[in-house]
Amino acid sequence: MTPKERVLAALAGLPVDRAPVLSANQTATYGQMDVSGAEWPEAHQKAEPMAKLALAAHSVLGFDAVRAPYCQTIESEALGCTVKYAGREGIPRIDVHAFKIGDEIALPEDFLTRGRVPELIEAVRLMKEAVGDGVAVMGNIVGPFSIVANLIGITDALKASFKRPDSLIPLMEVAEQAGTMLGKALVEAGADILVIEDMMASIDVISPPIYRNLAQPYEAKQIANLPDVPTIMHICGKLNPIMAEVAETGTTAISVEPSVDAVAAKEVLRGFPRYVALIGGVDAVVTLFSGTPEDVKNDVRKALADGYDIIAPGCSVPPSAELENLRAMVEAAEEAAV
Amino acid sequence: MTEQELLEAAAKAVVAADEDEAKAIATEAVKLGLDPLKVINEGFTPGMRDVGDLFERGTMFLPEVILASEAMVAAVAILEDSLPEDQKEKKAGTAVIGTIEGDVHDIGKGIVATLMRVYGFDVVDLGRDVPLDTFVEKVKETGAAIVGTSALMTTTMVGQKALEKMLKEAGIRDQVKTMVGGAVVTQYWADKIGADAYAENAQEAVQKALELVQG
Repeated sequence: MTPKERVLAALAGLPVDRAPVLSANQTATYGQMDVSGAEWPEAHQKAEPMAKLALAAHSVLGFDAVRAPYCQTIESEALGCTVKYAGREGIPRIDVHAFKIGDEIALPEDFLTRGRVPELIEAVRLMKEAVGDGVAVMGNIVGPFSIVANLIGITDALKASFKRPDSLIPLMEVAEQAGTMLGKALVEAGADILVIEDMMASIDVISPPIYRNLAQPYEAKQIANLPDVPTIMHICGKLNPIMAEVAETGTTAISVEPSVDAVAAKEVLRGFPRYVALIGGVDAVVTLFSGTPEDVKNDVRKALADGYDIIAPGCSVPPSAELENLRAMVEAAEEAAV
Repeated sequence: MTEQELLEAAAKAVVAADEDEAKAIATEAVKLGLDPLKVINEGFTPGMRDVGDLFERGTMFLPEVILASEAMVAAVAILEDSLPEDQKEKKAGTAVIGTIEGDVHDIGKGIVATLMRVYGFDVVDLGRDVPLDTFVEKVKETGAAIVGTSALMTTTMVGQKALEKMLKEAGIRDQVKTMVGGAVVTQYWADKIGADAYAENAQEAVQKALELVQG
């Protein structure tokens, strides 16, 4: 199987020659920057280095998918937030929140030409051009509630989510439209899969009722509005209490942290008439960042035993994670197949 | 309302994350001439402890915890204002806290700051995205007993290590205790960089801070 065939088959619950390995979230490391010659901050800002660094996930690590971008600020910047960079070492962060609750907000017609949006679209086109149909190309968009947290600040977003959830609706609408418009453009540029990162919709952050009543309906709306490609929903935290609701968004697969009870999660997902794949299994901090290749392999073996369909870090890859630790994910998946 | 009823209502208002109610109770306590410190220590503080427990057990979530701590702070401010100058409680010590530069999320740190104030610390909250130099300067300026930093990402966590070194270079490392916390931070990391304490959550942070200053 080609890497792309492997990923698409696993997403559909079909047989694979071995479990695919990828990262739904930020995948770049300093090691990949050294090898590829593409570095931050340029790879956050310009299409060419962005694509070049993304391709290292396959050429350097042996992952079955490549992905961009490396931060969660692109939509928010295009909607008016200002962004601060952190040089070669770090990821851009929101500097100034562009909105307050109650402000008028509408999706700018020229959204796709604003900020770094065109660079991301072009990067995905370059990635597709480089890998063709051999390797899966994933484009990441940020989920509606997480964009709103960027637009007005997380504390205000959380307080309002509890006290006056209706006051967030105009922001949620625009956030969904922005992500969806970007997602469509990424698919046109060649993305085989869309990843929706909605890390702030985690129930480590909001309560299950707020997820159900506020965050989830906009995720579901987004997935309904996106083109017909497989989607991966990534939400941080121990998702078990809302597993069914996440699947009800219509997402093809769910990417989770190792704090999730994967066996229980799979049990819930098997209750759905369609196949819903589970992605994750490797602890990004404890194992990838602080552990050894053998620790990584142990995580992978446990993940496969627990029923994960695709092996991935449970969260963004720490940029200082060693190449050998990341490569150990692929080695363990290969060893398990023999 | 009897004093006992008022103390119970104070705790309830915090657990309900009802700032208006908490302020009304504090105002009522002042009007009734109750001992403000008793109302804080036996009314509002147990409420905040309950909030911490409910959060730990997963029955209360961050949005309510933020609102509850704001209710607490507003009520305590009213009660403290009513204290005569000579009765103001002896402070546990000064703590400088903030989120390391590069990290913009500071909800957890905010809750730690609130709880530390409740437990008698003079808290200098530097906010989020704070350059390391600023921590060092503030510790010097205030003579703080504790400097607490939060990091949510592995890219900013290294700042906690750098801060240890900078405090040493500034010659003040032995005058101040360092505390670290945040999503990616562990006891292992704290030991590795030589921090004096690590806390998993806000309640634990306060306990460890008290232990550090009481030596």
